[in-house]
Amino acid sequence: MFQPLRLNALLTAVVAALVVLGLPLLGVGSYVLHVMILIMIFAIFAVAYNLVTGYLGLKTFGHHAFFGLGAYGSALISIHLGIGAWASLWIGAALAAAFGLFIGLPILRIKSMAHVAVVTLAFAEIVRLSCSNLKGLTRGELGLWGIPAFQALHLPLVGEVVFSPANKIGYYYLAALLLGMTLLATAVILRSKIGLAILAIRDGEDAAESLGVNLTRIKLGVFAVSAFMVGVAGAFYAHYVGILTPSAAIGADLMILVIAMVLVGGLGTFAGPLVGAVLLTSSAESLRFLDQYRLLVYGGLIVLIVLFAPRGLASLRLPGRRVPERPA
Amino acid sequence: MAEERRDDGIPGQALTPLVEVSGLSVEFGGIAAVHELTFAVSRCEIVALMGPNGAGKTTTFHLIAGARQPGSGRIMFDGRDLAGLRPDARCRLGVARTFQITQPFQELSVTENVMVGAMMHHKRLPDARAAARRYVELVGLADKADAPAKGLSTGQRKRLELARAIATRPKLLLMDEVTGGIDQKSIPGMIELVRRLREQGLTVIMIEHNMRVIGEVADRAIFMNRGVKIAEGTPADIARHPDVIDLYLGDAAHG
Ligand SMILES: Nc1ncnc2c1ncn2[C@@H]1O[C@H](COP(=O)(O)OP(=O)(O)OP(=O)(O)O)[C@@H](O)[C@H]1O
Ligand SMILES: [Mg+2]
Repeated sequence: MFQPLRLNALLTAVVAALVVLGLPLLGVGSYVLHVMILIMIFAIFAVAYNLVTGYLGLKTFGHHAFFGLGAYGSALISIHLGIGAWASLWIGAALAAAFGLFIGLPILRIKSMAHVAVVTLAFAEIVRLSCSNLKGLTRGELGLWGIPAFQALHLPLVGEVVFSPANKIGYYYLAALLLGMTLLATAVILRSKIGLAILAIRDGEDAAESLGVNLTRIKLGVFAVSAFMVGVAGAFYAHYVGILTPSAAIGADLMILVIAMVLVGGLGTFAGPLVGAVLLTSSAESLRFLDQYRLLVYGGLIVLIVLFAPRGLASLRLPGRRVPERPA
Repeated sequence: MAEERRDDGIPGQALTPLVEVSGLSVEFGGIAAVHELTFAVSRCEIVALMGPNGAGKTTTFHLIAGARQPGSGRIMFDGRDLAGLRPDARCRLGVARTFQITQPFQELSVTENVMVGAMMHHKRLPDARAAARRYVELVGLADKADAPAKGLSTGQRKRLELARAIATRPKLLLMDEVTGGIDQKSIPGMIELVRRLREQGLTVIMIEHNMRVIGEVADRAIFMNRGVKIAEGTPADIARHPDVIDLYLGDAAHG
């Protein structure tokens, strides 16, 4: 609901932020940092997807296109135009947002959910196939490599921060910063007049429109902002892993994974996408020992959670804690 | 009454009707829901729109509010042709409506529901919230102000519809069976509210079945059947009209 921040929510957020910021100081290994970085990339993606699907109620299945556009956009710009990753990341994200507006316009007039799903999915397939086939530019499935990393930074107090596969701390804090910015932007949007309009649209488009809410403007704007955020995640990913293939950066399984995260965590809840990203990324990693049975167990886990917590884990209350009674 | 309000000070403006519907028609699957409908409503007038089920009353509201596009005909509002304008644009011009099948924003509280309408005139959310509270009280939902809309009874949902609509500070209010589902003893309060709104300069078209309500507040009534206007006049005239008695009052008076 559209309500003042509750104290517990604020406390939880502060504690979570402290844990994330403090983790590298505990001397954890490079692998743990890598998994955490993946979690944060997915979290940005999931938060942005939740904004459109969970809050605005627009069931899209093509958001991986924006991840790919951000990733390839930023990578190609930094390779060919000699612009550093710090700047190309935002250009890549802006490219994703521009495509978001472009695809947003036609789908917003479609009332049927199924059609929205098919059109957005088809759009993402077109983006993926284009990247596969423009081999001169992207090298297709052979992989685009040689993507420059972020240039080292000289920060006051901290000293030199390097971004290399060997030293992931720089990437870790940059991912945390980008995720923090995404969460902040989302919170600001949701708690503004636009946020109220978004929730009204989700609950009843016709009523919202009759009360003066401009559906096209709100939906397009939110769609573009969401595409921008996913573009940021994609661009960061490109400069982090240093190699892109269309199937990894624009594959439909990426979208499916993010949808699973949002459903498991709680569609239309603020913390849901974060919970989902943590749980599904870390369990995917920790189930690696199961080898070919991994996906089976993983899928079973998702089914169980969705069955027993249909509104997502973030909506569950700890036993013993009183649930604030809502008059029904 | 009508002459008292000249809100824009343009001479003669008060004499032109606020709403002028002419030759309005729309059909669904080849069946005319509204056919060649023509009527006008003056500023500060309260007009009752009557007729049996399926007469085309709600459809007429949809057309005026912009939720449906007419097949032919024209709607002039406050000196403007409304053709092609979306519902939100019409709302900004001053057309507000309630839904017969209530459409509360389920996950929002009662006050937040009304804030959606109040946002239009308030830049800051706290101002919109304060204004929304006043409208919530005005319709008698103060005790439910912070309750989620999904728990409201039918009558409460009708009041919520009304509060949301007037929160947009309309010039024209389209009320679709607002007294339906409201308990009998709150009806006088409703009548009083509509009267007060009119005194503040609001023009009202109300779809209404309750003859007592119509008799007490409506200046005029329009009676429709199968999409066609068959009678128009004072509520007393309509109640005496032979076609109306045939079609409607015959059983409604007993039911
Ligand atoms: N979306 C639609 N598709 C098809 N037919 C429709 C649609 N909306 C309304 N109709 C038909 O148009 C006619 C007029 O309906 P409308 O809802 O305007 O009646 P009404 O006068 O409001 O009746 P009631 O008193 O029952 O609310 C009815 O025959 C109805 O079945
Ligand atoms: Mg009706």
